[in-house]
Amino acid sequence: MWNKDRSLALSIILVRALFVFIIILALCVPVMVHWYDITYTERVGLLEGSVFWPLSVCLYAAAVCGELCLWYLGKLLVNIKADQVFIPENCAHLRRISWFCLLAAVPFFVFGFWRYLGFVVALAAAFFGIIIRVVKNCFEKAVVLQEENDFTI
Amino acid sequence: MRIIVNLDVMMAKRKISSGELAKRIDITPANLSILKTGKAKAIRFSTLEKLCEVLDCQPGDILEFRKEED
Repeated sequence: MWNKDRSLALSIILVRALFVFIIILALCVPVMVHWYDITYTERVGLLEGSVFWPLSVCLYAAAVCGELCLWYLGKLLVNIKADQVFIPENCAHLRRISWFCLLAAVPFFVFGFWRYLGFVVALAAAFFGIIIRVVKNCFEKAVVLQEENDFTI
Repeated sequence: MRIIVNLDVMMAKRKISSGELAKRIDITPANLSILKTGKAKAIRFSTLEKLCEVLDCQPGDILEFRKEED
């Protein structure tokens, strides 16, 4: 029977699987970028030339941000599993996740000058970062309410 | 803190232990400790009612308002 504990366990498994998957993808970046560079040669950005180095740097930077996001997401889920939901530590995790999403937008924004698609990905990452930030603000309010509830006898 | 909880004073007057009081008003000893040490943020009317009943006193005997000095 499906329940919230299994749902939480699935989330933890997915986060850890994605963490490993990104490491594997990062190892394949040179091959993938080289293939992309020789396959899509038409100019679709402001700058010309090979995108091998810009895209490689962009993907590695984004991978680091992504891994850090997943690391803190995993910690958040472990806390939730331990029934510690509205605690200041989780707010700090959400704040970090939000900042890493916003940071991930920067390399894609720069890559957008070579390929316009980079701007779209940067916008998506920034949008996601802002959403997480709003969730963090809600959590902060919830922490105060939880504390008040805990100390109401 | 401007509201002072004088629970320990009343408990001493009535010669009742923390464990017994917690049992009689149906709260955990940990919560009673929070109340006694003044860490509580609020007190429910139901808890106050039980405390007054068990300790045979008025709410004013348990809670006291003290003006903060500058």
